[in-house]
Amino acid sequence: MNEPVSVLLVDDHALVRAGVRASLDARVRVVGEAADVDGAVRAVHELHPSVVLLDVHLPGGDGGGGAEVVRGCTDLLDVTRFLALSVSDAAEDVVSVIRVGARGYVTKAIDGPTLSDAVLRVAGGDAVFSPRLAGFVLDAFGTSVGDVATTDDELDRLSAREREVMRLIARGYSYKEVAGELFISVKTVETHVSAVLRKLQLSNRNELTRWAAARRLL
Amino acid sequence: MRGRWVGGVAAALSAHLRLPVPAVRLAFVLLVLPAGVGLWLYLFWWVTVPTGNPDDPSTTRPAAMSRLAARQSLVEPGRRLPVTDVGIALLMLAGAVLLVALRRGVAVDTRWVLPLLFLLGGLALAWSQLDAAQRGRLQRVAGGRTPAPVLAVLGGVLLAGVGVVLVVGQVAGEGLAPRVLAQAVVASLSVIAGVGLVLAPWWLRLMRELGDERTARARESERADIAAHLHDSVLQTLALIRAHADDSAEVARMARAQERELREWLYADRPAPSTSVAAGLRAVVAEVEDTRTGPDGRPVAVDVVVVGDRPPDDGSVALLQATREALVNAVTHGHPPVSLYLEVRDDALEVFVRDRGEGFDLEAIGADRFGVRESILGRVRRRGGTAQVTSSAQRGTEVHLVMPTSGDPTEESS
Repeated sequence: MNEPVSVLLVDDHALVRAGVRASLDARVRVVGEAADVDGAVRAVHELHPSVVLLDVHLPGGDGGGGAEVVRGCTDLLDVTRFLALSVSDAAEDVVSVIRVGARGYVTKAIDGPTLSDAVLRVAGGDAVFSPRLAGFVLDAFGTSVGDVATTDDELDRLSAREREVMRLIARGYSYKEVAGELFISVKTVETHVSAVLRKLQLSNRNELTRWAAARRLL
Repeated sequence: MRGRWVGGVAAALSAHLRLPVPAVRLAFVLLVLPAGVGLWLYLFWWVTVPTGNPDDPSTTRPAAMSRLAARQSLVEPGRRLPVTDVGIALLMLAGAVLLVALRRGVAVDTRWVLPLLFLLGGLALAWSQLDAAQRGRLQRVAGGRTPAPVLAVLGGVLLAGVGVVLVVGQVAGEGLAPRVLAQAVVASLSVIAGVGLVLAPWWLRLMRELGDERTARARESERADIAAHLHDSVLQTLALIRAHADDSAEVARMARAQERELREWLYADRPAPSTSVAAGLRAVVAEVEDTRTGPDGRPVAVDVVVVGDRPPDDGSVALLQATREALVNAVTHGHPPVSLYLEVRDDALEVFVRDRGEGFDLEAIGADRFGVRESILGRVRRRGGTAQVTSSAQRGTEVHLVMPTSGDPTEESS
């Protein structure tokens, strides 16, 4: 845990890269930067960073942006984890990177310590949900009573507890606050969030596929 | 074209030749006398010349030069004469004259009447496509979705075809004998098929070129639109920010307002506030962010998450008003970040407003203090909703409002 986590910054704006680099604290070490799709894929294969902070909209490649970078690095998904960092709050931007394998989605309005926390969390194999991503998940999986999963292995619906966690995150609660509110451990919160991430990636739920199909993401 | 009487041909011609309209109209009327030349000219120009004024600056200016957002298209020109009604009246008049003539014993070959009517009706239906005004009307009648022009052309072709076949039957002198009819149909269909096969490649190429050109034009106008927007809002805000560089609170406020506006514009599929609770909430947030500042005088950004949406009703309006009061409290007395969460379910609307301030003791607030008690809690409870405030020094203040849906739940859009 003393070893700082190695991070690759991928963003096409030098100004943003500099700002993110400055805001990260000592627990995180930036090992490289890339400005487009091809450069990012190359850098990931050369540097094997623990975490890639990935902008969703990137030039180069086949025009696939951040999702294309993740797809180009599928062979390294065990070593390298992707955290999407974007100004966009459009659902299709979120779903595109999450469904190809990113472990989380945060907006660029995030402050330095929170971003460092998120990087550490992703490096540890957990998922990171911003309030907006949680809201999107609730939107996609439905909020009515009939939308609650009854078994654990159901992919198209959230369990009651997962939905409760998502709602608290959407309300602006940190993982710790969620844990306190629900009288569970932070570790359990992380487990729930990872389960939701998995459902988000694997579910064939109408809304997800509709969005993805409409933007030709799949 | 404004000031049209029938098809707008005279008005268009006067604009083109820079002559007074009455003179052109008079010329048309006079030209009708020699074998109806004026009438034929009028009809010819009506169907062949496209509507619209080419000298109009809003249509001539190329998109690349444009620095303003896409212009609104011209209002549908007013037509003084209801052409359709006049046409129907003329048809009925002709029918009446025909009937009267028959009664008087005039030998009219009635066998020709039906085929000719079919033929003329079909032609009129198909050619009416060239009149843009007519097309707009047809589209409205068809509800906008159905390809009304296509339907009209198909119907016209069908009618005219039947008319032609009937005429052929008459010419062959065998009346409506099935054998003659079948021969005529087969012969005409094979001719059409042959011509179609020969012309198909040329037609396809034409369509493809047209499609390419359309896409290029759409892209161009989109680019102009983006340029216009960046110029009108973003560049001006940046200039303002530079001018106010030493006033950090003002800079932050302007940057936030501009960011919100740009998002609103980029993700343009967002509905108008009057049709959506989510959009109404965003308008409320924008107003609070613009007009209120935190305890230290700095603007506060509100983190908004909305799940689901539906059209507003009385309950949602009251809920939004209460939400606004709660937001104002959170921004002016609390500590950022301020979070706002709205969930639209089938059975209820639920709102959470949260800040990270030191919190306050609700019981300590006197009953006479109107703020929280009346404008937030009372407003929601009077409408049958529930409202509660939790506040602590460690976790800040959270206002939780629930408004049950009144009436039947409308479809939930995501």
